[in-house]
Amino acid sequence: MAMKATIEEIDGGITRLVLDGRMDIEGAQAVDLRVNVIAGSADKLLMDLSGVTFLGSMGLRSIVLPAQAIKRRGGKMVLYGPIPMVEDVLKGASIGSIIPIHHDLDSALAALRG
Amino acid sequence: MSDKPACPVPTQLRLESRMEDLALVHPWVEALAEYHAIPPPTVFAINLCLEEALANVVRHGYKDTAGSAMTVAFETHGERELSFVVEDSAPHFDPTVAPMETPAVPLEEMKIGGNGILLMRKFAGSVKWEPLEHGNRLRIGFVLP
Repeated sequence: MAMKATIEEIDGGITRLVLDGRMDIEGAQAVDLRVNVIAGSADKLLMDLSGVTFLGSMGLRSIVLPAQAIKRRGGKMVLYGPIPMVEDVLKGASIGSIIPIHHDLDSALAALRG
Repeated sequence: MSDKPACPVPTQLRLESRMEDLALVHPWVEALAEYHAIPPPTVFAINLCLEEALANVVRHGYKDTAGSAMTVAFETHGERELSFVVEDSAPHFDPTVAPMETPAVPLEEMKIGGNGILLMRKFAGSVKWEPLEHGNRLRIGFVLP
């Protein structure tokens, strides 16, 4: 199944980007363009990883690049709901200490609003 | 084990040196995992390590040039140990000696890429490199919980 990326606008100018599927090389290529377009306009981005079943280094690139673009514009991005193995990859690549990871939706939204 | 039917999944996968072929790996791994009852976290680690190892061969070993071959072979060692052996005919490269720790850097300074080999070494039980006369053999081992 191809990787999917859907967006939802939430009160407070927050964009929720929901990623679903395997973020391997193929999956990252499938969503990269859309993710970059969203990152080009969102100031507060909640990247919902709860439907991501696999994450490799190409998928990491699809997370770090938009986070960098948003930060350069003075915006904020948080990660929400990774499964344990996906979180291990984020932490293994030292990304967990740079882009905040939340498992509680309210705390993720509060971090963006704050 | 003697009453177990022979594994219906081929134990070797032959790929061409192009990124598109990497998509053939995870369905093969999942078929092996189903037959050998490999638990999901180990399957995740196997897929991660093979994607990083093979992407590295395509990108750096073969310099993104299609037309060369690489193989992945599956081996079991007793009940709890298994390994995947990646062979290529690219110039010698030992991924086991690259620096291991990524220093924590601010987001703006984070380099894109270069995480692959690091992740492979973190998620594999063991990684052994062996130079071949014309190529490389990388043995990535896993121990089942």
